[in-house]
Amino acid sequence: MHILIVEDDEVARDTLAKALREVGHTVDVAADGLAGLSMASSAALDLAIVDRMLPKLDGLALVQSLRATGKKLPVLILSALGDVDDRITGLRAGGDDYLTKPYHMSELLARIDALARRREAAEASTRLKFADLELDRMTRRVTRNGKRIELTAREFQLLEFMMRHSGQVVTRTMLLEGVWDYHFDPQTNVIDVHISRLRQAIDKDFDKPLLHTVRGAGYSLREDE
Amino acid sequence: MEGRARKVSPDQRVLGILNTSPFRIAIVYSIAFACGAAALLGAVNFAVSRVVDGSTDNLIEAEVQGLREQMKVLSRSDFIELVEQRSQDQDVRGAVYLMVDPQLRPVAGNVPVWPGIDANAGKWIQFDIQVPFGDETREHEVRAQRFPLPGGYRMLVGHDVQERQDVKNLMMRGLMAAVVLTLMIGLGGGLWMGRRILAQAGAISAVATQIMRGDLSQRLPVRGADDEIDRLAREINTMLDKIEQLTLGMRTVLDSAAHDLRTPLNRLQATAEGAMGMLAPGSAGRRVLERVTNEVDHMRSTLDALLRIALAETGTVAREPVDLSDLVESVVELYAPVSEERGITLESAVSPGAQVQGSRQLLAQALANLLDNAIKFTPDGGHIRVQLNQSGGAPEVIVEDTGPGIPADKRELVLGRRVRLDEARKFPGSGLGLSLVAAVTKLHGARLVLDDAAPAPGLRVSLKF
Repeated sequence: MHILIVEDDEVARDTLAKALREVGHTVDVAADGLAGLSMASSAALDLAIVDRMLPKLDGLALVQSLRATGKKLPVLILSALGDVDDRITGLRAGGDDYLTKPYHMSELLARIDALARRREAAEASTRLKFADLELDRMTRRVTRNGKRIELTAREFQLLEFMMRHSGQVVTRTMLLEGVWDYHFDPQTNVIDVHISRLRQAIDKDFDKPLLHTVRGAGYSLREDE
Repeated sequence: MEGRARKVSPDQRVLGILNTSPFRIAIVYSIAFACGAAALLGAVNFAVSRVVDGSTDNLIEAEVQGLREQMKVLSRSDFIELVEQRSQDQDVRGAVYLMVDPQLRPVAGNVPVWPGIDANAGKWIQFDIQVPFGDETREHEVRAQRFPLPGGYRMLVGHDVQERQDVKNLMMRGLMAAVVLTLMIGLGGGLWMGRRILAQAGAISAVATQIMRGDLSQRLPVRGADDEIDRLAREINTMLDKIEQLTLGMRTVLDSAAHDLRTPLNRLQATAEGAMGMLAPGSAGRRVLERVTNEVDHMRSTLDALLRIALAETGTVAREPVDLSDLVESVVELYAPVSEERGITLESAVSPGAQVQGSRQLLAQALANLLDNAIKFTPDGGHIRVQLNQSGGAPEVIVEDTGPGIPADKRELVLGRRVRLDEARKFPGSGLGLSLVAAVTKLHGARLVLDDAAPAPGLRVSLKF
């Protein structure tokens, strides 16, 4: 992927660029808002990571200007600001995702992946399929290998989210945001227990496990071991 | 909260007016004025009576004196003629004369019958006589003295005092009317002023409610009448300008503090993660860096909690209608598997449709913190009960556990920042959980009460909106 990083903090910018290059992305960098905006408007990019507080042009203003020109480039906003409302402001300004500093690189990579594939994903499709697992959003039916699997409403939502991001790493925070719409980190391992329940339901009676734990990052729905 | 439309019935509106200070002042003043009017008129009445009564009495005394002297020098027939003459004399209006023989038969005078007189009556007697009044007769009161005449005859000299009585009655009626009128004017004026002040106070409290909900840009209406209420409104508005400035300033300070702390933490995290990538998994160096990133996580969550508390306390958090019932159920549902793993029964009774105005994220985190705490401190196999009650339209969330509870003397303490009781130190956590709950509760105008669960031991936390 071709990713633009607009970040004024040199250390953060360089480590981020290095980490992204390491996983195979092409990276451009800009140190201020104006440079960032001109690069984002011209180059053929797949994604932009924009810091919220930037010299010359504020990160939010950058995203707004970008959206005003009709550019649909996915934008992930990084913020070192407060909390609660900032996220909403960021998303309203046209950001596609929002992450507060300090973040784990694994969290950022997972979100980049999710953003990149969001465009490919057929949001409107009512039937999701992964390996021998099938989920019908209309009838709320889940089958694996043709066998019906009973899920609670929440387990269904969790599975739907995982299937939409199949093959990718999904972090706990992404699940909390995507399934529960909560933007805080609970002290206890609540998500792990929900996932282990879901795993019980979809993997227990089958040879090949689909729902995997990715150490230090989150979970992933994939076929290979 | 805004979600619930408050309907004011006419009865309540009248009650509202009755409860205003102008109305109360008007009532107190009109009662005082009525008392004053009553006292004044009473005093006038008393003085007038004294003067009028006195002069009548003097008149009668003088007449009695004169007749007694005449009695000594005149023969009976001459005296009778004198009495007759005086009786007919129209110059002295209302003079009453009666002379009777020993059998009390009238001999002369302008009164037909000798009045029945109480033997114990003193010098002055008072009785009624019938006086022709057009076609009818009227009862008039007469004040009189009597004295014996030679030969068992008796003489009565008096005066018709009805007019005096009429004046007194009139004055009494005037007095009553004055009192009633004063009270009525007072009441009417009080109601009018009460309504006025209520309208003004209503406008002020409407704005105040909006400000408390976090909309600091609101200002009190100034009507341009330049009265004391306008001046007050202007001064409060100046104060609000200042508060808005301070709050925005605080927000800026918070933001820059957040920025200045998060940026180096982010560098630390990025550097540590970068270095970790160069080290073999499981190596000693990598383990050290893992500890570093764990500490960064810990600092981050403490910083998040502190910032959220500070934000909640500045009140600059956006408000939206929140379905509290949904939220409570979803948080309970989030924690249900964890508590089940610990063998804790998590029970909930949620009354549907409870709405509050506020921040969904902050409310969710506050509820999550309460459940985090409950699960953390409740022993395996214990019991947690979550309730959402709606009594009188005010939702109340109650979380009860069968943990060790919090001693009564330490309850205030734990709501402060970073207080962890010694008993709690063996559990993980920042010690900010309840502080955040307290700040969020305050932000939503709710009341947070910590109590013993019934049956003890256990903690009962109540959030009353």
